[in-house]
This record gives sequence, structure tokens and C-alpha cells, in this order.
Amino acid sequence: MIRFAAIRLVEIAAMLALMSFVIYGLIGLMPGDPVDLMLTSDPHLSAADVARLKSLYGIDRPLIERYLAWAQMALSGDLGYSRLFSAPVAAALLPRLANSLELLGSSFALAFLLALGLGIAAARHPGSRLDAAINFTAFAGISLPTFWLALILMLIFAQGLGWLPASGMGEAGSGALLDRLRHLVLPVATLTIASLGGYTRYVRAAMRDALGQDHIRTARAKGASELRVVWHHALRSALVPIATILALSFGTLVSGALITEEMFAYPGMGKLIFDAVMGNDYNLALAALLLATAVTMAGNLAADLAYAWLDPRVTYR
Amino acid sequence: MRLPLLLLGAIAAAALAMPLVAAALHADPSSVDLLDRFAGPSAAHPLGTDELGRDMLLRLLEGGRVSLTIGVAAALTAAAIGTAIGVAAGYLGGWTDRLLMRLTDAVIALPLLPLLIVFAALDLRKLGVPHWVADSAAISLLRIVALAVLIGWTTAARLVRGATLVTRQRDFVRAAQSLGAGTLHILVRHILPNVMAPLVVATTLSVGDIILLESVLSFLGLGVQPPLASWGSMLSNAEELMNSAPLLAVYPGALIFLTVIACNLLGDALLARFDPRDPARV
Amino acid sequence: MLPVAASAATHDELTIGVVQFPATLNPNIDAMAAKNYVLGFVLRPFTVYDADWKLVCLLCTDLPTVENGRAVVTDLPDGRKGVDLTYTIRPDARWADGAPVTTEDVKFTYEVGRNPQSAVSDAELYRRITSIDVKDDKTFTLHFDKLTYDYAAIDDFVLLPAHLERGAFADPAQYRVRTLYATDPTNPGLYDGPYRVSELVPGSHIVLEPNPHWAGPMPPFHRITIRAIENTAALQTNLLSGTVDMVAGEIGLPLDEALAFDKQHGGAFTILYKPGLTFEHVDCNLANPILADRRVREALLAGLDRQAIVASLFAGRQAVADSFVDPLDKGYSNDVPHHPYDPARADRLLENAGWHAQGGGARKNADGQTLSLELATTAGNRSRELVEQVLQSQWKQIGVDVRIHNEPARVLFGETLPHRHFDLAMYAWISAPENVPRSIFRSDEIPSAENAYAGQNLGGYASPEMDRIIDALEVELDPEKRKALWQEAQRLYATDLPSLPLYFRSDAFILPKWLTGLRPTGNQYPSTLWVTDWRAQP
Repeated sequence: MIRFAAIRLVEIAAMLALMSFVIYGLIGLMPGDPVDLMLTSDPHLSAADVARLKSLYGIDRPLIERYLAWAQMALSGDLGYSRLFSAPVAAALLPRLANSLELLGSSFALAFLLALGLGIAAARHPGSRLDAAINFTAFAGISLPTFWLALILMLIFAQGLGWLPASGMGEAGSGALLDRLRHLVLPVATLTIASLGGYTRYVRAAMRDALGQDHIRTARAKGASELRVVWHHALRSALVPIATILALSFGTLVSGALITEEMFAYPGMGKLIFDAVMGNDYNLALAALLLATAVTMAGNLAADLAYAWLDPRVTYR
Repeated sequence: MRLPLLLLGAIAAAALAMPLVAAALHADPSSVDLLDRFAGPSAAHPLGTDELGRDMLLRLLEGGRVSLTIGVAAALTAAAIGTAIGVAAGYLGGWTDRLLMRLTDAVIALPLLPLLIVFAALDLRKLGVPHWVADSAAISLLRIVALAVLIGWTTAARLVRGATLVTRQRDFVRAAQSLGAGTLHILVRHILPNVMAPLVVATTLSVGDIILLESVLSFLGLGVQPPLASWGSMLSNAEELMNSAPLLAVYPGALIFLTVIACNLLGDALLARFDPRDPARV
Repeated sequence: MLPVAASAATHDELTIGVVQFPATLNPNIDAMAAKNYVLGFVLRPFTVYDADWKLVCLLCTDLPTVENGRAVVTDLPDGRKGVDLTYTIRPDARWADGAPVTTEDVKFTYEVGRNPQSAVSDAELYRRITSIDVKDDKTFTLHFDKLTYDYAAIDDFVLLPAHLERGAFADPAQYRVRTLYATDPTNPGLYDGPYRVSELVPGSHIVLEPNPHWAGPMPPFHRITIRAIENTAALQTNLLSGTVDMVAGEIGLPLDEALAFDKQHGGAFTILYKPGLTFEHVDCNLANPILADRRVREALLAGLDRQAIVASLFAGRQAVADSFVDPLDKGYSNDVPHHPYDPARADRLLENAGWHAQGGGARKNADGQTLSLELATTAGNRSRELVEQVLQSQWKQIGVDVRIHNEPARVLFGETLPHRHFDLAMYAWISAPENVPRSIFRSDEIPSAENAYAGQNLGGYASPEMDRIIDALEVELDPEKRKALWQEAQRLYATDLPSLPLYFRSDAFILPKWLTGLRPTGNQYPSTLWVTDWRAQP
């Protein structure tokens, strides 16, 4: 087990290194640079200015040279300077990461709890009208484009009813908890609705499998209460696939909310990555993307480990 | 199972029938009429007109053709590629398996966003793509299909590999091997039929996902380019008009919703049918 | 020091919605409309063009003219004419930390501007100043190496506070990283306008509060919040739900969205439309033999019903342009060839040029070639995509097959256009009042491999006549002669038609009913420079 984990960690590190090269290359492949766009918006700017700026920002050097310079810097712990935020990369990244974790963490937890409840309910009454209704509702949530969902919620609750603010993280200048919670409601609702369906189906399938297994029948035959059967025995079996999907969703915790963040002007990682990539901010984009990739891969590893560890024991308890 | 199938069938049929409807209305989806913008429903325009005076019904049907083409084409292509890779990895095992799985992981780990942007910005002529393809109106459509395939084959690959691993151990496969059957023969006649079930389910579900992906791409400005229209591009264009002409957004939104949910329900129904442990089937 | 009016008005705060967030607030680094908008509240440039397009002094006391002796024409050793300009900083000008604005700041800013490593984006002005003489704390003389018509306009000379920034400039190559505008943007000493920045959350919002050492008219609001909401549908919702009070015209909703908004909700707001300096046109790549023929270009223009486009898509709020000069500009002349919508004339022109109608479908010439062209614009710009499709449809009527091929802005402007891989390209030129069109029309500004694809003459227009006029315009001081030159330039443009003029874009300012006094300028100087004129009615 330890060997397995160790090998995978090495593989992850190798993958990250490879990914850094690929990402740098991808960004470099994007034609044009924001400096070129400056020309079109300032009539006093000349081509000579653009050339000078490009040389200052180091953009005119060959890609591989720039990548190696970055790699050297990164390996010594210096993530560099973000062109877009006019600040060191870590200073630009960390607050946005915190915001994203807040946003995605809340919606993830909420979606998961709801999915657990709905999925178990559906699994306990398979084929019933309740089952069909839950199934349908779950699907409805994941069949809408997210930006559409966000807009509808905004229109109803912010514009129509005026109950909630339409954008931002909080009123400027106030860090009050209640205010921040108010601003979280709509974006969290959007994300929850969008992901609820997937989780619900998973839980439902996992629970149905679990409820159909032999040791459940045995427990029931031995007179265990329904509550105990569901929550103690079945859930245990279902834990493995559920834990798997949990771990696999880790990656989205960091960067999975671009559309929602854009719609609600919520300053998070998704938007950061988008802006950094579009703005050719290599340092920031690399740091953010590698972080997101690392989290995803860590999640995959955790899922694999959980599967390998939990599986044989649970079935034979 | 019947309901989603009927729904999808109806939508597909309507989209295919677009030329007939166009002939009946004596109009075509790209005829601009600046004097008749945002018109309400009428005899000439059953669903009204859009921001350039084009007939909404025809635009929706045309958009449907584009969206459905993208969805189905990408789903099938991704499934085909994924199956090839999954079967190879699952059946051949060893280094082939390790290599292919690492490749799959690498592709899964690829960040979507820079990929999308580079795709949208790639100069195809530089890559040797023939001029008549690179300059065609459908190129933005092909780009999206290519992108969806690139990120979609991994799911099929993983799924098929898993199913192959299981099937490989089954008796009839061992029997065939011991009888000296060729690898290809075994793959096609024994392995494939047994991995079909989960594959079909996954592919059906992926059609819906791809249609949603297409609408996100349009939202980000990386979707199909005019004059091609898809439901996704119609929806994101109409987003800004929500406060003034909401119906322009409601129609494509509703169609996307119906199509995607139908795909999902169909996939779910197929899963139930194929899953031997489904208590509802008993 | 004047206190902000503690009036009975319930509106002592203002929230403004914008679609873009400035990357940096340093006035000299990065040219961005969003930055200029915010800086209009907090920094005073020396000179600007106001809402009446007159050059006025903001930080200086008087504009230098030959008459008042502040402008002296000099003879340079190489025979050219230069000019010495003497400016006096307003005696009451102070940075928000109390330090006075002095010639120390002038000298420092000059030093930064001249240094090639300081990442100053617009260095043209600093290049033209050969030296500065400081007379006292407030008065200084700039020595220019070239006498140009707009000699008194030193708008790009925005002062940096020497007492704060000198430390950051110790290593010029690190200046853009160490500048306090980036590391400590809420430092009051960085701002000398009616407001200063009190809070800045990158990518989200900026909060402004009154400058306690401001000596001018009273700032009308206790606090101004500027929120960046990139998605325009969300911005509209924010407006309607009251989360933001107004949308800035300079960086707000595109016109067609504002018009749609106006139709539904205009009653609850005051909406001002102001034509701006953005000249929307279709560039023709003269390297394409089809477009090299002027008759074809004329026909393309005559085949467009621009009036109808403007009337139906933009509710007439944008004026059809016949040449590249803004109607509000001093140099504007209406005495140019007009090209009204005339499909019959377009037909004749095309026939003459050898393109014969095929009874519906695209025209062909004697060699069997089809009259087919590609039209490009910035992908994702809904407004342009709409216009594009109308253009395509109208050109189809006169037998021209136009294929649409859009690309993201960075691709279009970064690669496709400079490398001249296009037939027709629809985009905008942003000009300034009386801005001589050197980089867009002069024959030596055609991007090519030789000049590393610099220059903005993307169509490849080479006219010795136009070159002559441009050179003359740059140095001619006599107003009468200038007018004549401008007229010549416009007439030449409208005759040669190197590009097809469409219209000047308008900006829409969506304001709450209780806000008065805001005057859109229509030029590149934002309305925020005159925030002290804004009033909140109770």
C-alpha cells in the first residue's frame, strides 16, 4: 500500500512537471499578446512602444528559454510576479483561492448532504413515484447551462424580489459575516443545483447496489431495524463508491466555478485562471493551473487508495 | 424509456425537416430583415423574429441541426476512440495498459481553458489543413467537435477498459483463447459485445454533456461563429436581451433543456435495462 | 480643506458598475480605458480636452501660448523648429497626504518617463522633451525638440509623487513591480484629485473617498464604489436590483444592449447617449487584387444601407460616417464625397470593374473568378456580429459573396491583421481630438516583415498625396491652413476609400434619476475628471 502510494506520488510529480511544460507551451501557442491589444485602445501609443514593452516583459524571447527561466525560478520556490495583478503570484492567488474554497466548499457540502438524503430516499423505494420524481429533479438540475441557471436565479431573487444582492462578495468596506453570507446565497445555490443531480444519481446507484447485497438480507432476517439496516449496513457498503466520487470531485473545488464566478462577479480561482490565461500572465496562469491539476491528481490518488483499502474489508464484515 | 426516446426523436425529426418548413414559410433562416426585428408570433413567423428580423422557428430548427450534429458526432467519435484505446489497454495489459492509462490520466489532467482558447485561435492553415476546409463556414463546428472528442474519449476508455478487464477473465474468452482464436477475432466477437452496455449508456449521456459544453463555449465567445447558429450560441446571444426580449432566450434554453434531459433520462433507462441487479427490473 | 457637504440628501454614496477592472493604477504603465476612468477621479493631468472639446488646464494655471509668452518657438541646431513651454502648477495643488505638488514631482516623472526600463507604455511625450528647466517650486519650462500644432497639450504627462515613488524607482527595471500604485494602492499620497483610493480588491471593486487636501470644488459623495461586473447581462441585473446605481458610458454596456435596456426600463433611469471617438469601419486589404480596384470598394460602400443599419440596430443614436474625422472635432468637414445607399450605382460600378451579374448568386469576371471576399471581426462581440451579418446580407443583394470568419480579438489584432491575412476587417480606430492619422494612413506605416509588422496601416494604403497632408498637418500652426489641410485629408479619404466608413460609436450612460451634472465628453478623457460637477438631488 505504501509502495503503491509512493509510486503514484512520484508519478504525480512527474506529471506536474510535464504539465507545466505543456501549459506553458499552450499559452505560448495562443497568438497575440495583450500588449498588442493596447495599441488598439490608445491612439498615442506607437509600434515602437509596443516593441519596447514586449522586450521589457520578456515576451520577445523564445518560448523554451522563457519556460526554462520560469522552471528554474519555480523550483527555487519563487513563483514570480503576476502581470495582471501587479503583485507577486502568491499574493494574487491566495485570496482568490480562499474565496473559491469558501464558495465551492459550501456548495459541495450542501450538494453532497442533499444528495445523500435524496439518494438514500430514492434507493429505499426503488421504482416508486418518489424515486422517479427525485431522479427527474436531479436530471433537471444538470440539464441546464450554468450561466442560464445563474441568470434566472439572479432575475428572480435579486431583480424581481430584491431579496438578495446580484453580485460581489460583500458590501465594500464591510467584512460582516451576515453580509458575506447574503452574497454567497445565489452563487452557492447555482453551483449546488448544477451538481446535485450528478451526486444524487451516484448515491442512489451505490445505495441500491448496497441494499441488494446478501449481508443486508441477512441483517434483516436477523431482525435488525430498518434504520440500522440502511444507515449502518448499507451505507457502509455504499461508502466506497461515494468516497470515490467525493475524491474525484476535489479538483473542481479549486477551479470549477468559472461561469458562476463570472456571472456573480465573485472573485475566485475560476475567473483568475480564465483572466490569467487570456491575459498571457504566464506566471499566474501556471501557478493556478498547476495547483488545480495537483489537487485533481491528489483526489484521484485518494480515490484509488480508498478503493483499494476499503473494498476488501467492507464486503466481508 | 419511451418518453425520452419519443422526445429526442421528435426534436431530431423537426431539425431535419427544416428545409421543408423553410419552403412552407417561404423564408430561410439567414434572411435578414432590419425592419421586422423582435416581431411577435404571426402567420408568416410562427414564433416571431429575432434581433435581425430572421424567423425564430427556422433559426431554432437550424440551430438544432448544428447542436445535434455536434452532440452526436462528437459522442460517437469519442466513443469509438475511447473503445479502441480501452479495449487495447484492458485486453493486452502490461506495459500497453500502463502507458495508455497514463496517457488517459494526462489528458484528463489537461486544463480545459487554455486548450479551448488555443483551439479557437489555432491557425489551421499553418498545420497543413487544406484551404477549402480551413476557410469553410463549418470550421468552427469542426473545431468544437474536435475539442469535445479530445476531452471526451477518456471516459469511454476508462469504462471500456474496466469492462474488458472483467470480460477477459470470463470462461468463454478463455475457451476461445485456448482454441487458438486470433486476438482480433476475440476482441470483436467476445469482448466488444460485452462492453457495449456501459458504453452505450455513457455515450448517450455524453450527447447531453456535449450540447451543454457547446453552450458554455458560446458563452465564452469560443463557440460556433456566425452565420452558423446553434442553440448554445443563440442562448448566449439572447442572454443580454433577457430584460427586453426574453423569449429569444427562452426558446433555445428550453430546447437545450429538453434535449439534454431526454438524453439523461434515456441513458438512465438504458442503464436500468442493462443492469442485472436493478431490483426494479425484477 | 473643505468638508464634504453633509447634506440632507439620502444619496451620499454612489456605486458605479463597469465591465473591466484596471490591472494597475500607475498612470504611466499599461494603457487601459478602465484605468483612465478610475484615475479621472483621483489624479489630475496637466491638460485635457473637456466636454466641449476645448483644451483646458487642470493642474496648470494657464495654457502656454505665444501670446501670453509662455510658449516660445526656438530654432534648433539642425534647422528644425522646437518650442519651449512654461507651465505653472496650481498653487493649491496637494497630494492627499498633505504634501504639495511641486516641480520635484515633474522632474521625477520625467526621469521615469525617459528611462527605457521603467515600462512606461506611452513614452512619446517624454521622448520629445529634451530637457526641463525648473524655475521654482511651481514653475517649470519644457524644451521640446519638435514644434507640433498641439504643442500645449501635455495630457500624457501625469505626475507621479516623487516623495513616495522615488524609493520604488531606485532600480528602474523593478519599478513596475515596486511602484506603490501596485504594492500600496491605498496610500493617500499617490493621489492629488478630488478623491483618493481607500480600498482596492483586485478584480472586484475600488472604493474612493474624498481627498482631505483637495482645494477645488467640493466632492459630492462621501464614498464612491466602482464595481467590475464583466458579464453585461449580470450588469443589467445589478442595475435593476439596485446593487449598482449607474453604469459608466466609457466602459459600460454596448450600445445595442443599452438601447434594448432603454426600451424596457428607460423610464426608471436617465440615459445619455454620446457619440465618441471610436470610428467603426471596414478595412480593405489593398493587396487583394479584387479590392485594389477602387470601383469595387466604392460599389461595396454604395451597396450598404448604413442609414438603415444605424436606424434599426442603433435607434439612430450613431451617426453614419463619411470619413474618419469625428463630427465634433475641430477639423471636421462635411464637404466630402458622400456615398449614399445606391444599389443601382453599385451594380454599374461592379459591371464596369468587370464583375458580371449571374442572375442571383455571386458575380463572376471574364476569367470565371467569383466575386468572393472574407469579412473578419472580433469574435464574441455581439454587436459587431449582428452588423456583420447585415453587411453580408446587403452585399449578397449586389452579387458579392462575403464569408464571415471571426477570430478572438487577440488573434485578430495580434497576428491576423498585422500579417495582413485578411480581405475585409471590421473594427474600430480610436482617435483623439485633432489626432493626425499618421500610423493608420501613412505609407511607411504598412506592417511588413521588414518593420517587424509594426504600423497600423493594415490595408496597405499608399498615397503620396495623403503622406504630404499628414506631414503638413503635424507642423502647421495656422488654424486656417489647418482647416484646409483637414478638409483635403477627408476629401481624399472619401474619394480613395482605403476603408469603408461605417459610423462613430456612441456610448450610453445609464444614470439614476437623482444624479445630475454628469457630462459625457465624447473623447478619450473620461467624464470622471469633472466629478465635482456631479450632484445628487435628494
